[in-house]
Amino acid sequence: MAEQSIATASPLVKALVARNREPQWLQSFREDAWQAYEKFPSPKLEKTDLRNRTWDVTALSSEAVGKPRTEVAQFLEAAKDEPFLCLRDGAVVAVHVPADLAEQGVILTDLNTAVQQHEELVRKHLGTVVAAEADKWSALNGALWENGIFVYVPRNVQVQRPIQFVYEESPAGKGGRPRCLVVAEEGSRLAFAEISFVPEEGATGGIHSAVTEIVAQPLAHVDACALTNFRKGPTNFVTRRAKILNDARVDWVVGDIGDGFTVGLVESLLEGSASQSHTRVLGFGYGRQRLELTASMEHRGRSSESDIVMHGVVRGRANSVYRSSTHIQRGAADAASEQHDRMLLLNEKTRADAIPMLLIDENNVRRCGHAASVGKIDEVQVYYLMSRGISKKQATKMIVWSYLAPTVDAIVVPAFREFVAARINKELEQ
Amino acid sequence: MSVPHLSIQDLHVAVEDKEIVKGLSLDIKGGEIHAVMGPNGTGKSTFSSALMGHPAYTVTSGSATLDGQDLLQMSVDERARAGLFLAMQYPAEVSGVSNANFLRTALNSLRGEGNEVPVIKFHRDLQAKMKELNIDSVFADRYLNEGFSGGEKKRNEILQMAMLEPRIAILDEIDSGLDIDALKVVSDAVNQLRRPETGFLIITHYQRLLQYIEPDFVHVMMQGRIVMSGDKKLAEHLEANGYDGLKAELGIVDETVGAEA
Repeated sequence: MAEQSIATASPLVKALVARNREPQWLQSFREDAWQAYEKFPSPKLEKTDLRNRTWDVTALSSEAVGKPRTEVAQFLEAAKDEPFLCLRDGAVVAVHVPADLAEQGVILTDLNTAVQQHEELVRKHLGTVVAAEADKWSALNGALWENGIFVYVPRNVQVQRPIQFVYEESPAGKGGRPRCLVVAEEGSRLAFAEISFVPEEGATGGIHSAVTEIVAQPLAHVDACALTNFRKGPTNFVTRRAKILNDARVDWVVGDIGDGFTVGLVESLLEGSASQSHTRVLGFGYGRQRLELTASMEHRGRSSESDIVMHGVVRGRANSVYRSSTHIQRGAADAASEQHDRMLLLNEKTRADAIPMLLIDENNVRRCGHAASVGKIDEVQVYYLMSRGISKKQATKMIVWSYLAPTVDAIVVPAFREFVAARINKELEQ
Repeated sequence: MSVPHLSIQDLHVAVEDKEIVKGLSLDIKGGEIHAVMGPNGTGKSTFSSALMGHPAYTVTSGSATLDGQDLLQMSVDERARAGLFLAMQYPAEVSGVSNANFLRTALNSLRGEGNEVPVIKFHRDLQAKMKELNIDSVFADRYLNEGFSGGEKKRNEILQMAMLEPRIAILDEIDSGLDIDALKVVSDAVNQLRRPETGFLIITHYQRLLQYIEPDFVHVMMQGRIVMSGDKKLAEHLEANGYDGLKAELGIVDETVGAEA
């Protein structure tokens, strides 16, 4: 068996294992994932055909740190006293762990370092939420993740300030493959916010594959925020998933502003009884964006509770699909879930789909509902604002903001929030 | 500034190819209060909405100028910035936009760049005006018209008028759905703005409002045009004899648009 896996292993996996001097179990983890990756055909999603997208994975990114781009440098300046990690491709640009967190046993480090210094913890949790064998892109990340972040909060520790992760894929990045692993032990509390940047115009054919795994042990409460700015060129795959145990809670704020070709999933596995998850998704697509973004709730625990709010704004020739999915599995008695999806089309040539899905295998459900709409901005609202002297552009801006503001306000890091607000305003000026 | 002058000549307005307003002429100057009365379905609201530039209404012929400027060539916001204000019968609800934010943006749009109202002064003025109009101060932070009762929406329209100080204010059935106390509050607000810098056009179905706001001119609209004009005595005459009496005098059988005399 060992011989066989070595025979089919990617030279990239070997190079990574050698570069990072990774332990045997991790080598096996990567090799198994690579096999799964090779085995999976290019998927054809309901609305997105990936069979014509290339899956070029030819090189590892450079180990050089390089100079971060302007926005990243600004975040570093704003975050210098906060708990944060900044990676450029696979290399650590900067890391800061405030003394009080270190004293409480909080671990915040890059994933490569965590493998060396906290091997048992990483081994215990890596791949337990996003299994490498789940689909082609999770398998790709499982095989070839190049660093990432590891956050560990011990039992009953309350982290007051958000933990920030700034990730930049450089033009030499060959498609970034970061992996985030966040473990919140029983009764702990933390906010984790990541923002990632890709080159303005990435190489066509490349692949960006990001994975975030969150483990929320009983009574833990995690606020998770993930912001991306995917640009045209490569194909972007993002899988973010949280496993939520008894009485634990994970809330997501996920946003993308860009013109990239992106397939994304944000999912909560409501494993425990009385587990909770609230997800807010914000999207602003322009140019020729192709986005297929799914927000999903898997209810397995009794009395588990969730809701999904998705707001997408599209202009230009963007073609975006926002799907919200709630699956109440048999046994998840007394579960409750709501979905609200609202898409705004800013011009004629753009297209958006809002697809709500409810899959209910349990007879005893407390409540389960959805509301979805796709439409242009209400011209009577615009007329009303204009009738008081407000220009059409400003009126449009105000109405778009009225949808997006609650989600932007929910971004826990002020610098991230201001960045997203500025990006939205910039796109609304176009 | 000169005294405001709204001049409407032979205005025709259509909705989806159906002509509703059929040759309406009216002159309103600053300091004057005009009342346009008439039964339902005679084109009163269509006229006022078209004048403001509502997207559902098309002006097919005629002219409308404010201070000599052609209103019909202007976008809706330009009309507002020229000094036109319409208190709407059914104002839109805009969730997510607070009343105060909306009003401040509107006020600053009217004042122009570089002449924005200081934030603290704005909020002080707003609170003072809200108090005068008997509007609870929490309404400043509530979303624009969302969940407002009919009467609250009407008072909110008048609040906007009081804050924006237009040159010509049109009040479209501001009295409908108001109880007598609210009616007095709204009337007081209009009477306070009564001055040479502002002309009023009050559209109403009932004479009741005109007991509190004394008009200088009263016009009766039927079949999409003004069929009779007079002073406040005309309103009293209507109150005594009803629209049916006037119809008989004018030989009109069906006063609604679409019916011909």
